[in-house]
Amino acid sequence: MIEALARFLDALRAEGVGVSAAEAVDAARAVEVVGLERRETVRLALAVTLAKDRASRAVFDRVFDRFFAPPRLPRDGKGKGRPAGVREGATRKRRPQPPEESKRRAPADRESERGKLGRRPGRLHRIVRAERRREMAPEPRHRDLTRRMTKEEEREIAREIPRLVKALRLKRGRRRREARTGRPWLRKALRRATATYGVPFVLPAQRPRRRGVRVVLLVDVSFSVARAAGFFLLLAGAFLEIGRRARVVCFVDRPVDATGAIARWMRGRARPGRPLAAPRPGDGIARGGVSFADVLSGIDGLNLDAASDYGRTLHALARPGYRVRGRDALLVVLGDARANRFDPLPWAFSDLAASLGGVLWLVPEPASRWGTGDSALPLYLPSIDVLVEATDLSGLARGVAEMRKRT
Amino acid sequence: MTRPVEVTPESITERFAASGFVCPPEVASALHLAEALGKPLLLEGPPGVGKTEVAKLWASYHGAELIRLQCYEGLDEAKALYEWSYGKQMLYAQLLRDKTADVLAKAPDLASAIALLRDEADAFFSRDFLLPRPLLQAILSKKPVVLLLDEVDRSDEEFEAFLLEVLSDHQVSIPELGTLKAASPPRVVLTSNDTRELSDALRRRCLYAHVDYPSLEDEIRIVEARVPGIGAALTDRLVRFAQALRKADLKKAPGIAEVVDWALALTVVGADALSPAVLRKTLGALLKNREDLERVLAEPGRFRG
Repeated sequence: MIEALARFLDALRAEGVGVSAAEAVDAARAVEVVGLERRETVRLALAVTLAKDRASRAVFDRVFDRFFAPPRLPRDGKGKGRPAGVREGATRKRRPQPPEESKRRAPADRESERGKLGRRPGRLHRIVRAERRREMAPEPRHRDLTRRMTKEEEREIAREIPRLVKALRLKRGRRRREARTGRPWLRKALRRATATYGVPFVLPAQRPRRRGVRVVLLVDVSFSVARAAGFFLLLAGAFLEIGRRARVVCFVDRPVDATGAIARWMRGRARPGRPLAAPRPGDGIARGGVSFADVLSGIDGLNLDAASDYGRTLHALARPGYRVRGRDALLVVLGDARANRFDPLPWAFSDLAASLGGVLWLVPEPASRWGTGDSALPLYLPSIDVLVEATDLSGLARGVAEMRKRT
Repeated sequence: MTRPVEVTPESITERFAASGFVCPPEVASALHLAEALGKPLLLEGPPGVGKTEVAKLWASYHGAELIRLQCYEGLDEAKALYEWSYGKQMLYAQLLRDKTADVLAKAPDLASAIALLRDEADAFFSRDFLLPRPLLQAILSKKPVVLLLDEVDRSDEEFEAFLLEVLSDHQVSIPELGTLKAASPPRVVLTSNDTRELSDALRRRCLYAHVDYPSLEDEIRIVEARVPGIGAALTDRLVRFAQALRKADLKKAPGIAEVVDWALALTVVGADALSPAVLRKTLGALLKNREDLERVLAEPGRFRG
């Protein structure tokens, strides 16, 4: 059993659930306490000792089901239906009947059992398919955000965000740094002087806050990428103070400044918008009870049902009236650059990029599709400093980490 | 010592049920293992699902005293662990002034007076002048206790780090007295509303169970147990209504206690259906936020299922 457990722990670790040595010992002791008679008891005992938050519990259940497969469905042929990666032995240990007996079973016996189930092929088929889908489903943070998904699935992915924010250390640091020159740092001077009675008295200076860098998040919120946009804003908002040094511009067919609305939403103070007639991507991404889809529907001037028009948007931003400027400003674009047969106006983008400190582009589309069909990405490419493939939450997090480096 | 109580998941479920608490199998199993492995148990879940209640029942299960430490932002060691009773020390110093003078009279010079004082001053930092706060109470207690650290997520990260020593070794260090170790390790239950991500170090030291809102059947059983004499049809309807509210992204989703309160309110006004008029009168027991109330009262049909 110890060996099977060790392999199970390896499988858990491979899926990103951290298990310490002490927890492994706890797990082994727990199994010893509850015994191996009932599968669900073993599951609970292991869950209590190994899965220490809600997200890990979901992963745990999946790995457990895959690893300690229950004798649920008769299988014809040995090993068929067992997903790849699970070694023999691990599952066999959990079988209630010894292997010899099943081998000795008359073929007719098995035939009749199949006949019994054969009367309801539809149901069996459904069970197997659902089981398959569940086993093969990728981890929430690796799920493709561009395909269709339910509200519940969106919620499941959104639950990953705090962990990602923590893993990336996105939270703003409060600590100030000391510098050789700059404004005198009285508090520190006092603290240091009390230790030495002020001999020698040194007046430390504090490194000035970096004020200059402004970040403009230009976010495509059209139907196909709105979900990625919502997750992206939640991640980016974890360290950018949206509204102070960062602005958010949403667009579908034209840019609309959404800084206020998004900042309120991030602080959990958004007003719910008009009730939505149909489910939209982003209605499972909630903050303070208001979903991203709700917030978008409440922003004036945003036509969510239009086709996205990159040329017009970038041109509008490049116009002198729009205050996206500055050698130290970083432009972060989230969008698939699908021009929808509008003119992508690459010169407008290169003009805009030339007036900025840098351009980071996150593409919520697999790299294999970049530049195919109506994608204007190749035209914009010369002006882009960093391009990130961000089809899933971890891709978005990579993009945000890049952004963090540059601010 | 009281007699040891036998613990199995079944006996826990049974005893809790006798007190009108429907214990999820998850929690029963976690409590059982916490007892068997001698580990603290971390219960996490939305507010109002009965996490604190679990700790209280756990204490009464063992016939143990419940020592509760409500965590909050800014909670520090002095309030959680111990303090020196400054007032008492001052009072004694005043009353014993003559005595001190006698002692000091023997000293020929200042150095020996200080040496004398150094020996005597320890008397003022003894157990007599110690004010044990919940954590120390739990460690020093001779009788079995259940220590409840309520809403750990509200405390600061520094305090969380400090808890680690207490949780893993059941001991605390007091500079003036040395290390105090628990004679019998207290049973520890931590609860968290998940408003802040707790550190991995803390999670590693605890067993973990996530407590969620109960299923429809369980919640109906809870309401029937807590509100005797309520009609089955009304119970079914009100619980369905409350569960629909929880799915509706409200600012403050109703907890179990609020559902029970609402059920009581409904019996008080003698309602047998959830008409708009009845809702207007009683919904304040369920929803504690004006915006939520207005939203639900505007279209109660959406939640009636």
